[in-house]
Amino acid sequence: MAEKQIDNMKSYGLMNLVKGKTPAIQKDPYEMVMSWPHLLFREVVLFLIVLTVIMGMSILFNAPLEEMADPKNTPNPAKAPWYFLGLQEALSWGPPVLGGIVFPTLLAVLLLAVPYLDRTRDGIGVWFHPKRRTVNILFAMGLTFWFGLIIVGTFLRGPSWDFYWFWEAWPVH
Amino acid sequence: MSRVADLLFANRVWKSVFRHGYPSNPRNRAEVMFQNVFLHIQSVKVFKRSLKVSATFGLGLILAYLFLLLTLTGFLLMFYYVPEVHRAYADMKDLEFAVSFGVVLRNMHRWAAHAMVLFTFLHMARVFFTGAYKAPREFNWVIGIILLIITLFLSLSGYLLPWDQLAYWAITIVSNLIRTTPPADIMGAGASYLVLGGTQIGQNTLIRFYVMHVFGLPAICGLLMVVHFWRIRKDGGLARPDESNIPLR
Repeated sequence: MAEKQIDNMKSYGLMNLVKGKTPAIQKDPYEMVMSWPHLLFREVVLFLIVLTVIMGMSILFNAPLEEMADPKNTPNPAKAPWYFLGLQEALSWGPPVLGGIVFPTLLAVLLLAVPYLDRTRDGIGVWFHPKRRTVNILFAMGLTFWFGLIIVGTFLRGPSWDFYWFWEAWPVH
Repeated sequence: MSRVADLLFANRVWKSVFRHGYPSNPRNRAEVMFQNVFLHIQSVKVFKRSLKVSATFGLGLILAYLFLLLTLTGFLLMFYYVPEVHRAYADMKDLEFAVSFGVVLRNMHRWAAHAMVLFTFLHMARVFFTGAYKAPREFNWVIGIILLIITLFLSLSGYLLPWDQLAYWAITIVSNLIRTTPPADIMGAGASYLVLGGTQIGQNTLIRFYVMHVFGLPAICGLLMVVHFWRIRKDGGLARPDESNIPLR
């Protein structure tokens, strides 16, 4: 009962008129929308896409499973997981400590330091901003090198870590 | 219709859970976001340009979803897998041939794991090429790189668990790599002993990798993910072009 009364009471009134510009009405200066439903709807849709793709892949392709682990039987070549094959490839180039420890450590430190090395304010929130061409090219070269190593390690290395092109058959032993 | 709605949503039980009405007006739409512990990490309003697919391609969100899928499938796999050297491989075979949908479960875990590693790199590339690591987002980039490293270790620790040739020799390569850490006699040997739980891969290695894979690393990863998400908001949401005009400090 009391609630109803408050609802019906007018709690405001015209007090004064002031000269000045009118505030922007029905126009959002920051171009924003409510997270519900605009963001949440997109998030649910994306989840369904991710779930569908992963389930689809899992129905179509089986995860690899080789014979049981046998310490006496070394496969040739033995390979690390694909994301470490770049390192394994770098390992074969010189002293193992350089490729296996120094190279990845430097890479990690360099990545961690990126925002403290590049302190310009150019091109925030813009894809491939022209003012950032140099750093973008450097980073793209780094990525290409890293994934290049992975591709070499994954597809172009055969027995004894010898180099074979895609079309070359590995020797039968 | 509205009577049914009233019956469902205007009762005491419903209102004790959700303290707002259906989000059909701005006020309730705001309340939905900040009355819900899972949603309140996101802002009530978002920039229109942040919703464009081309802004981020949803890469970070895809990663969060993959982590969620991996947690769920991993949880289910734990019912069927025992980390014991004589049993682990047989459990993999059981998953393939005896457990209902076991093979799909394992496939989902495996493919989602590979996808997570790949998308971490893609997400990093997106952040770099849009200059989104610049102040005030420097520290979130740092957390992201740590998450990248943790993702690699999470995937690696899971790699040994099937206890097949692929697993055994991949971890052999990695442990040989750790052994070269200078000075190799002290650091290398010590680190390798710590990781393997001995001088060669065996039962101790399997249980170490298993515990790190199902608890240690996911716990750290989840914790850092929460900080990562929280920092997105604290740093002003997704990077926007008009921020370039704001000088640093």
